Amino acid sequence: MVYVIPAIFLVVFVFAAVKKVKIYDEFSAGVKEAVSFTISLIPCLAAIFMMCAVFEKSGLSNALTNLLSPAFGFLGIPPELTKLVLIKPFSGSGSLAYLNAIIAEHGADSYIARCACVCFGSSETVFYISAVYFAGLKVKKLAVPIVIVLISTLISTILACLLCNIM
Amino acid sequence: MNAIFTVVFIASAATMLFIAPDELLPTLLGGAESSAKMALTLFCIYAVWMGLSKLAEKSGLSKGAAKVLKPLSKKLFKTENETALENLAMNLSCNLLGIGGAATPYAVKAIGELEKDKNTFAQKLLFVINSTSIQLIPSTVIALRAGAGSASSFDIFLPSLICTCVSTGLGVALFVLSQKVGGMRFIKKRKRKAGFKG
Repeated sequence: MVYVIPAIFLVVFVFAAVKKVKIYDEFSAGVKEAVSFTISLIPCLAAIFMMCAVFEKSGLSNALTNLLSPAFGFLGIPPELTKLVLIKPFSGSGSLAYLNAIIAEHGADSYIARCACVCFGSSETVFYISAVYFAGLKVKKLAVPIVIVLISTLISTILACLLCNIM
Repeated sequence: MNAIFTVVFIASAATMLFIAPDELLPTLLGGAESSAKMALTLFCIYAVWMGLSKLAEKSGLSKGAAKVLKPLSKKLFKTENETALENLAMNLSCNLLGIGGAATPYAVKAIGELEKDKNTFAQKLLFVINSTSIQLIPSTVIALRAGAGSASSFDIFLPSLICTCVSTGLGVALFVLSQKVGGMRFIKKRKRKAGFKG
């Protein structure tokens, strides 16, 4: 698997060279787009990160976790994973921090850690993606797609906990 | 997003007023600081992948990828927009390869392109596909487990694959269904209106 990324780079560069693309000029042009793209993301990023910070600091996120743990337990999701499952839709880096903590605490090959890994790997940061994709566009009616994504993610999470038990 | 932001923010700030009023400002500043760090990290990822993607675009590689995926994406996204199809194809390929960081810029370009055609169906569908995660190889997680001394870091591959297929399949199915139901309601309304007029 480690060869995939070098191979991609090599193929693209060699192919571009064969097609006589001005590689340095075009690569920098791509990076230039990255600059303006990143800057366009900053307002949404900053707002969401501030919201997540106060949500966490105020203790509401912990309260919500405790409130939802029994319901999650009923669905077969271990209470240790509640926070990870709740945070993942909002923040990739935040949930990565929790995932690391879970692996460190329970050991990489434990049921909890494997479960956490599958949940983490098969879900995405829904709210973050919705903010990035639709930044500056007029499409604002995203409630239905977001709810659908959250339902699908929850079901795949339940499935993950089930599959890790038998696989 | 507006509703969520308002509710979460007001509830959190109100709680902090009671438990730690002096910590609200430092917390907000801390959040802003981590967003700046995040922006820098993201810039690094995008600089690498958008540089590469420019080469793929100029050399005609993305056109090739678009051609291969065209029958599928045309049917799925209901669009004839060539530039949009090209970006959609690259987005899907990056996702499948497990390089999600590279997929985002293509998605944003495709969504901007679809905006010109007012194709909100395709925009939302793309969002559903991307946010239910369709990566074939969960490379980050495998690396993490290997780093933590796992005996078989690859053994989550199959459950992960099943779960991401289920979540994406379910997401797309539910979304298409919801659009159909919404569309039918719309037609019924129009019929009813027409009926009243007639």
